[in-house]
Parts: sequence; C-alpha cells; structure tokens
Amino acid sequence: MSHIHLPDGVLPVWLWASGFIIAILIGFILFRFAKKEVLAKKLPLLGMMAAVMVLGASVEIVPIAYHVNLMVISGILLGPSLIFLATFVVNVILALFGHGGITVIGLNTLTLSIEGILGYLFFRLFWKISKRLTPAAFAATFLALCLSTFSMIGVVGLGVSHYEELIHKDGGHGIFEFKLLKEESDPHEEGKERGEANFRRFIAIVLPLGFLGWILEGIITTLILRYIHRLRPDLLRREIKAS
Amino acid sequence: MIQLSYLDYLAVEGKSFLHRLSAGWKIVGMLVVLSGIVILRNLFGLSLLYGILLGLFFACRLPLRIFSLTLYPLVFAILFIFISGFQIHFILLVFLKVLSGSTGVVLLLGTTPYPSIFVALDKLLPSIFVTALFLTYRSIFILLKVLEETQHALYLRGGLQWNHPWRSLNNISNAFGHLIIRGIDASEKMYESMMLRGFKNKIHYKGE
Repeated sequence: MSHIHLPDGVLPVWLWASGFIIAILIGFILFRFAKKEVLAKKLPLLGMMAAVMVLGASVEIVPIAYHVNLMVISGILLGPSLIFLATFVVNVILALFGHGGITVIGLNTLTLSIEGILGYLFFRLFWKISKRLTPAAFAATFLALCLSTFSMIGVVGLGVSHYEELIHKDGGHGIFEFKLLKEESDPHEEGKERGEANFRRFIAIVLPLGFLGWILEGIITTLILRYIHRLRPDLLRREIKAS
Repeated sequence: MIQLSYLDYLAVEGKSFLHRLSAGWKIVGMLVVLSGIVILRNLFGLSLLYGILLGLFFACRLPLRIFSLTLYPLVFAILFIFISGFQIHFILLVFLKVLSGSTGVVLLLGTTPYPSIFVALDKLLPSIFVTALFLTYRSIFILLKVLEETQHALYLRGGLQWNHPWRSLNNISNAFGHLIIRGIDASEKMYESMMLRGFKNKIHYKGE
C-alpha cells in the first residue's frame, strides 16, 4: 500500500527530484561503506529477492487494488543496506511496466525502503523479546507497513497545492461542484478548502484499504516466514547472527 | 508479468523500423516522452503525444495482446482521481499521462531486447546497479518457471478458493515461501557459476 501508484507528471518537479537526490545520496553512502566482495557475493541473492518482490507486486487483488510487496520478508532476508538497492531495482522494473511512474522511482524507493528496513529492525526486536516467530513477524510487518503508508500519505500531501493547480487548470469546472454550503465566497479560500477536503478524502480511502492490506500482508508474511523457518531455519538465523 | 517472455520474444523477432533503431536512441526517445508527460498540462498536447505513441505502436505491428499491458496502470490511477473531487479535466489529464507513459514503456520493451537496454544503461549508471538490474531481470524468468510448476502443485492442494480464505492464504504463502527458497538456492548456484566464468562485480555484454 505504501507504493505510490502515481503516474509521471502529477507530482511537482521539486518533490520527485528531491526524492531522486535523497535516494541517490543514500545509495552512494551505502556503497561507499559496503564491502565490495560482500556486495558482489550477495548480488545474485539481491536479484532473486528483487524478482520475488516484482512477482509479488504483479499478483493483484483487484477489488481493493492491493498487491503484496514482500518488502518486509526481503528486508529480513537481505538486511537493511541491501534492501535499499533491491528496492531501487524493483521500482525501476515496476516503473518499466507502468506500475508507478518513472519520475517517482526515487520517492517510491524511499518509502518502500522504510518498510523493508523497519520490518527488519522490528522483526529482530520482537523476535528477541517474544522468542516467538508468529507474533514477531505479524507485528513487525503490520507496523512497518503502517508507518510506510503514512510516509507515502505525507509525500502525496506535500504536493496538494500542485494538484489544485492541475485541477483548476480548466477554470474549476468539474462534474461535481461542491457549493452546497457556501453561495459566495473568496475563490482562493474556496479552493483551499476544496483542496483540503479532497486530500482528506484521499486519506479516508487509502487508510481503510491500507488497514486491510496491512493485515493481509501481515498474515501472508507470517505464514511465509513460518514456512521458511520450517524448511530453512538457517536463512532467518543467518541474518540475525550477521547483525 | 507472465507476458514478459512474450515481450522479449517480440523485441528479438520484430523487424519494424523501431526494432532496427539503436537502444540508445530509443531510450532518448523515452526520455523525451517522459519530459512531455511532466511538462504538458493541457489535454490537446497530451492527446497529441498519446496519438503519436499509439501510431508508433501500430506502425511497429506489435500485437493487440500486448496493448492490454498499456491499460494496466489505469487500475492504480483510479485511486488517485479521488483527490481531484472527480474533476473531468483532471481525470483525463491523469489518464492521458498514465497511458502515454505506459505506451512509451511497452514500445521500448517490445522493440528492444533487454541486453541492449542494459548495455545502454551501463554507460550512464553505476555498473553495480546495472548488474543488479540485469540479475533481477534474469531471475524473473527463472522464478516464472518455478511459479508455473508451483501453480500446478497449488491447484492440486485446492488452489485459491474465496469460500476457504484461510486455506487460500496458506496456499499462497506456501507458494511464495517455496518460490523464495527455490530462488535463494538458484541464486547460490548462479553466484558459483558466475565466479567460474570470471565475474568481478561487472557483467560484460556481447560486443563490449
């Protein structure tokens, strides 16, 4: 749910350009301090996990336009620094299939990385405290998705004035005009109120759908982790030990 | 995603003028389309851009089956139109931007074999990033094959049934778990074979 499914040209240039700059800076810092041999060794794994995420994203639950990200599980298996590069790669490939615009790759990388990194940290913490995989996996996924969805809403919210500009480009003539409460008012104030109301409407739609998604992905991630723990427990322990 | 291999086949086997054009020029063309999408804010300009892309799509004789891929991103755009208060101008603007972007991308992928795209990208982006991109792209094909086999197993275990949601969730999760484990095993083998072939942080493409 935290993936910004926005087409190119809707977000203001300063916003998506900042997303790119910040993502590139973080990527640069991570590469600067990463051991090249370790990175090269983990590249095939990174590619494989990125492919799993791409395949997960292509399985759409149509009524609520939801797809699993598998970002938390990838974060747990890859670790916080590799998940950033994996997210970048996933977003490039998804954008090449029209799954979010090309210009929002930077912003999507940042919001989805939050999901992967927080998922990894929460999972480690909760598993250490509770010693039980199921509650730790579910709580970590739920919280990570919740926080990354709020960060996505925050990013979309930063562009509200720009959307208003696009909406009112034709002089404000829409299919539905919301002029029931005020007959005459200052056009600037009216536009401001309408903009706020519309963004609230966006949040009102995204959050309930998101809530369903967090639960659904929480359950799926937990079941996948239980499956992996049953067959290849070393994969989960290896990351925990490595940290 | 299942159509990825078909797209790849079309890119290699196609004979149109766009197929013959170099990948570098097509990427530049895609950047021009993207700039148009970002800059244009009127319906006429965007309709014109989309019209040109549609014209190119049919001129390249790409099959109609692939055209459905260009419509897929509209599913996500629908969520975003709620922010506009259903302003028809905004909806059309967003839809045209979405369609222009997706048609441009499908045109690029349907007329350019992916190694050629990666060779062109390798000149602009860090090689480690392009290598990761290449390995991901290759892994998608490996996993698609595993997914195909898993689907049969899933079907034999009851598959996805809306009247048995818990069983369906369990089946989906087991399928993804299986996919991940098989993927990790395949990645370990891939790394070993890459090392045997002299891999040193960079993949060298044919002709380099």
